[in-house]
Parts: sequence; C-alpha cells; structure tokens
Amino acid sequence: MSRATMNLTAGRLAAPRLSHLSWLLLAVAVAVGFGLPAVVGSVLVLTLLTQAVIGGMLAVGVGFLIRQNGVVSFGHAAWYGVSAYCIGLLLRHEVLPVEAALVLALAVPTLMAFLLGLVIVRVPGVAFSMLTLAVGQAFHEFAMKAQAVTNGDDGFAIPLPDTLFGLPISTVQQPETMFVLCWTLLALVIFGLYVTVRSPFGRLTEAIRENEERARFIGYKTVLPRAATYALSAFVAALAGLLFALYNGFVSPEVLHWTLSGSALIMAVIGGSKLLWGPALGAVIFFFLKDLAGNLTEHWPAMIGVTVIVVTVLMPAGIAGSLAELGGRLRKSGGRA
Amino acid sequence: MNGGTTGGFAIQGTALTRPYGGFFAVNKVDIAVPHGEIRGLIGPNGAGKSTLIDVLSGRAAVWSGQVRMDGRDIGGMSVQERRRHGMARSFQKTNIFPELSVREQLDIAARQAEKPNVPEVMEELGLTDLGPARARDIAYGEQRRLDLALALIGRPRVLLLDEPAAGLSMRESLNLATLLRDLAQRWKVTVLIVEHDMEVVFSICDRITVLQLGRVLAEGTPDEIRRSPDVITAYLGSAA
Amino acid sequence: MTANVFLIQILNGLVYGGLLFIVSVGLVLIFGLRRVVNFAHGSLFMIGAYVGFSISLVAGFWVGIVGAAVALAIAGALLDVSVFRPLRGQDPIATVLVTFGLLLILEDLANTVWGKETHSLPLPEMLSGSVEILGQPFPTYRLLVIAVAAAVGIALALWLRFSRIGLFVRASSVDPVTTAVQGVNTDRVSAVVVAIGTGLAGLSGTIAAPLLALSPSMGGSILIESFIVVVVGGLGSFSGALIAALAIGQIHNLGIIYVPWAATMVPFLLMVAVLVWRPTGFAGSHV
Repeated sequence: MSRATMNLTAGRLAAPRLSHLSWLLLAVAVAVGFGLPAVVGSVLVLTLLTQAVIGGMLAVGVGFLIRQNGVVSFGHAAWYGVSAYCIGLLLRHEVLPVEAALVLALAVPTLMAFLLGLVIVRVPGVAFSMLTLAVGQAFHEFAMKAQAVTNGDDGFAIPLPDTLFGLPISTVQQPETMFVLCWTLLALVIFGLYVTVRSPFGRLTEAIRENEERARFIGYKTVLPRAATYALSAFVAALAGLLFALYNGFVSPEVLHWTLSGSALIMAVIGGSKLLWGPALGAVIFFFLKDLAGNLTEHWPAMIGVTVIVVTVLMPAGIAGSLAELGGRLRKSGGRA
Repeated sequence: MNGGTTGGFAIQGTALTRPYGGFFAVNKVDIAVPHGEIRGLIGPNGAGKSTLIDVLSGRAAVWSGQVRMDGRDIGGMSVQERRRHGMARSFQKTNIFPELSVREQLDIAARQAEKPNVPEVMEELGLTDLGPARARDIAYGEQRRLDLALALIGRPRVLLLDEPAAGLSMRESLNLATLLRDLAQRWKVTVLIVEHDMEVVFSICDRITVLQLGRVLAEGTPDEIRRSPDVITAYLGSAA
Repeated sequence: MTANVFLIQILNGLVYGGLLFIVSVGLVLIFGLRRVVNFAHGSLFMIGAYVGFSISLVAGFWVGIVGAAVALAIAGALLDVSVFRPLRGQDPIATVLVTFGLLLILEDLANTVWGKETHSLPLPEMLSGSVEILGQPFPTYRLLVIAVAAAVGIALALWLRFSRIGLFVRASSVDPVTTAVQGVNTDRVSAVVVAIGTGLAGLSGTIAAPLLALSPSMGGSILIESFIVVVVGGLGSFSGALIAALAIGQIHNLGIIYVPWAATMVPFLLMVAVLVWRPTGFAGSHV
C-alpha cells in the first residue's frame, strides 16, 4: 500500500521522460534541413519549399488546436497577420530595437488570442468555428479600413535592418538560408508541441476535449486550459507570420484574409492532425499540388474545394493519420506472426 | 449501520425546487442523509431523481432552496469546489474519457485529489489489469466501473450515484452493490444512490426516499418502504 | 442631427438588419433541424444574386427574384440529399469542412460564369424613385426590402407555429434526440426545411443585389455577419436571430456613420460582449 502510494507520488511529480528516440528524431530533422539546400540545388524548388514550411507552420498551429481542443479554427490567419503587421509597424516606426520587436510581434498576438480564447472556447465546437471566422475577418477589415495605420489595401514594405542577431539580413531573405531557418524552427515547434501534449497539461486538455463535463466534475477548471491551448496554437501561427514578414519584407491585408486561414485548415485536414507533423506534410503536398496545377491555377480554389471534400469524406484521419493507422496494423499483424 | 442520526448531515437539501419546461421537476424536496448512511432514491420515470442529484451536485443551479454539506451552505459552490470539499458523483449515461487509457484518466483525476489512491481504486473496482487499455475499447460493464472509479479517486466523503448499475446484468449489478456497500463502510462514505434495480436498492440501502412527480412521497427503512401502502400503489404496485 | 435624419438612419439600419435576418434565418432553420452549420450559405446568397441578375436581364426584375429563390431552393434540396444526409451521425465538423469546400467551388464557379468584374442589377422604373418620409427623401426600393423582410419573418413565424413541419423544427431545435425517438423522420422533412433555408438565401441575394455590387466575394462578408447573428442569437433560435439581426443592422449602420474605420469591428465587439455575458447567446436554444 505504502509502496504503491510512493510510486504514485513519484509518477505525479516527474513528467514523463522523453525517449532518446524523440531527441534523435529532432537531431535528424534539423540535420536534414541543413543538408537539403545542397541536395535540391534549384532555387525555385527551395523558394517553394520555404513557402511550404512557413505555411506548414501555420497549419501545424491549426492542427494542434484540432488535436488538443477538438475544435476547428477558420481564423488563424488573424494571429499570423497580426504578428506580421506588428513587426512591420514596429520596424517602420523604429520604436524598438529589432530583436525586441521580434519578441513583441510574437507576444502581442499570443496574448490577444489568450484573452479572446477565454471567451470563445466556451461556445460549442461548431459555433467556435463560426466565431473564429468572424473574428479573423474583423481583423482583415480593420487592416483594410484603418488606412492611417496600415496603409489599407496596399500594405507597406517593411524596412528591415542590416543585421539580425548579428547575421546579415540576407539570411532571412534568401531561400537557401531562410529555408534552413524555417525548417529548423518548424522542427523545434513540433518537438515543443510533442513535449506539451505528453505533459500533464497536455493530458488534461485531451481529457477536457474528450469530456468537458466530467473533467469539471473531477475538479478541473476547463476554460483556462483550453484558452491556453488556443493561445499556444496562436503563438505557432504568429511565428509563421513573423517568418513570412521577414522573408517577404512586405505586409498587406492578404496575410489576414480568410482564404489563408482556410488554406491552413485544408493543409491540416489533408495531412491529418492526429499526428503533430501531419499538417506540415499536408502543407508540402498543398504547395506542390498548387505548383503542379500550373495553368489550371485559375481554378485553384475549386480544386482545393474538391480536395477538402474528398479528404473529409474518404480519409477523415488525413494522410498522416492513415499512414499511422497502416503502420499500427502492420505492427500488430507482425507481432502476431 | 442504521445509525448516523448523530453529528448532523453529510448532505442535505432543504425545500429544493427546480423548474423544467412548464412544471417542477423537483418541487420543495427535503432530503437529509446522515454521515455514513447509504440512501436510496427511487421513484417512477420523471419523478425528479436525476434532477435532484444534478441540483445537489451542482450540475443544475439551485433555483430555490438550500444545499448543505456538513451543515455548510454549498449552493453557490462550483462543481470543482464541491469536489474539493469531498463530493463526487457518477452519471446515468457512462461519462468517461473514451480516448484516454484507464490509468491515464484515473491519474488525471488523482492530480486534483489530496490523497491520490489510483492503485487502490483500480484494485477495488477490478480495473488493475486494464490500466493501459483505451477506455472506449473495454467492455460496457468495465466502463461503468471506470465511471465509478473516477468518482472514487481521493476517497470522497459524499458520493452521489445516478444509476450506477444501468445496463448491467443481474449478476454484475449485485456484485456492484456488494462492492458499494463494502466500500462505503470501510471508507466511511455517505452515499445517495438513484437506482432502478430494486434488488440492488433494497439490499444495500440503510434508508430509502421515494420521489413522485417531483415531491417526496415517502421515506423510511427498506422494510418500511416495502410495506408502505402509498409506495405500493404509486410505484411498486406495477412491479410487484 | 435632427430627429428626422435620425429616423432615416434607423430605417437604413432596418434595411440591412432585415436582409441579414432573411439570410441568417436560413442558417437557423438548418441548424435547428440538423445541428450542422452550412459554411456555403453565404455563397448561396451570392449565387442567388447572380442567378437573379441573369434572369432579370432576360425576364425582368420580379421574375428574377422568384426565379433565384426557386433555383436556390432546388439547390438546397440537392444539398440536403447529397451532403447533410450522408454526413448525419458524423462529427458536425465534417459537414462544416465539406460545405467549406463547396464555398470554394461556388466562388470559383461564379468567377468562371460571371467574371471577376462587378455587375449591378438595375431596378424597374417604379422602384427606382424615392418617397418622402417626414420631409426626408427615402429610396422606395429600400422600403420594399423592409417590407419583404417583414413578410418573410411573419410567414416563417406562422409556418413554425402552425404547420406540422414547423412544429417538428421547433421540437427538434430544442431536443433533436427525443424528437427523433418520437418517430418523426428528420430526413423526410429536412429536404423541405433546407430548401426553404437556401431559397431564402437566394431571395435575399437577389433583393440585396441592387443595393450592393455583385461580386463573387460578396458571399464572404454576409456569411460572417450572419454567423455573428446566429451565434449571438443563440444557435438555432428564430427569435434570437431576429433580435440579433435587427440590432446588428442598426449598429452596423450607425457605425458606418460615426466610426467608419471601425464599423466592421463593432458587431464583433457586440458579439464578444454578449458571449461574455451569456455563452449560449440571447435565447439559449429555443426557436
């Protein structure tokens, strides 16, 4: 009895230890990122890959919210765009050193999302989707209408400094180096989210997702953890928006538009959000399909529409989910044999 | 174990009223359960049993009347605070975390408990071997026990059970009844139990309260209730 | 600002609120019955506007209105059979995603058929003038919009109150499970209900067309405002949607006059305020 209690106490205090494998995977992922530009060679493909990785990060944020809170955001472009506008405006008005501006550009959308989250995580899932769409579009409209601050529809070029953390600014403007930076950050984000979902906090939010009422009856407040999860997913979206702003050196209301939110969601759906890296895979597929579509890009929205319907109906777990399921089945039958 | 009249009441509702649609699901109900007692709550469908449990547990707001635990008014307490004060409940429909493993969800419940007792609860409810199993994959009877286990983490002082034996076979029901009786005695838990299975109710309850159309029709020991002409006409008549 | 001018502003707010109500009530009906949200609803509004536009070029304004409503009602019945029915019993998010896919397809369709440039729907002579209200001129057509919104509201209220299907919709929006258990067949009535909902989207699209510029993206903004109406009104509540639509109509209109740069933020702030106060909206979940 007392031994059992001791074990349990130990179990409560120590967070589940990360396996060596997960550290190894992180190291491999980062190494691949450094090696890939040399292998690929083509600047065009690298440009595409850089876009895909930034889009993938936004999608990972959306997917994390689906996985952890069980709700679908149609407005994550808001946090992506607020971050991009933040860095743009801060640098334009030269109010802060660039490094501080970067931190603020991540902190502002995250905090805004947390406060908004306290309100909107309380509504049922379908209404949550509706509200995120409305909120996202409200930001877009604001950027369009508040001409004096944002220069409206035209947007503005971001005056970038010459160096960033001691590195020449070209690091974030050329695909060869920016790809490595974005890829590494994406790997770190996914790793960080992996640590989060395995932590007691992650387990708790999963429990709340599964059964909010029972979670309350075993003694948990449920709004705060869900709002925190929403804020964390907004942080990931904000990081993507920040990278986008640095890479493009330009910001316009497009970064807040719901078609961007929708694209990110579609990447998450195609890739599957049960696995944290699924949405990133979805993003790569999304961007290469878009590139392949070539002359047909005029009808790109409809093609995406058809894709999302087909994936939702035929492959609800997404590609990564289906792969994982297949893997699980193979392992099981292998074990039996 | 008939006593418990000394030392106040573990859980007490006074003049509880709760409207539902155009009528009162619970209408000026007085109920007081002394420490350590197992109280049965029976009555025909729509008598207000589940609503009464909901009001006592804080799932439904108190519309008028008072809810007290150990003499203290808890009507304004959130469900989380009630849990911290030693109140726990189970649900009529199985209310678990289907995608989490049995052990995982009990551990999560234990993080809110002052004295976590996961291995003990798993042992008592026969869930020890099911730790790593996903809750949705285990048998229905096991899910019902898991539901009860979630309520038992931290050894609550007051346990409100809404048809814990619903859907169980006769044998499973009786096993559960014996287990409840035994646990309540050893852990000194006060239990209020809504149950349709009369055999379960009459075998484990110290006293029984009968509700009909939102009002208390009768209250007494199982023998008194069995013999009460009112109850026989209103409720048992058809079953007997 | 004089009282007369103020009254005119109220009327203008009523025009927008009325339109918003006709669009939103379609969402409310579908939600009440099927517990799903149609993200393509705004696109149906947009397609309705274009269909009405095309028909009215050939056969006149009035035929255009009726034609758009009928065409979209038929589309709604098809939508019910091909999307809502097969996806019932699944997570409502699946329906959301599929209708979001439809939204993208419909917008692309409008781009292809009618082009990206904006069109405008000309009014018949008798409606293009204005009437004088308390000494202020007010466009006749806007009065007509208010009248149509009122007529739709009253007709729907009577239909919900007295028809068999209406009774079923009300019962279902309160408690879908019990209603289904009572032996009423949701599938049999839902084609009718969804058709009415989308028909109203088509009707409002055509009616709005002379007031707005026709463009494939016009569905987006109306979708968002009607979402705010539906959530603030309390998902699935007919009367809640009415109150919310009228309130947002007024707020939207006054916002454009007094705080033009923030007009679109105002309904959103109202929504946040209502949700802080009552997470379930004005009316909980009763029709």
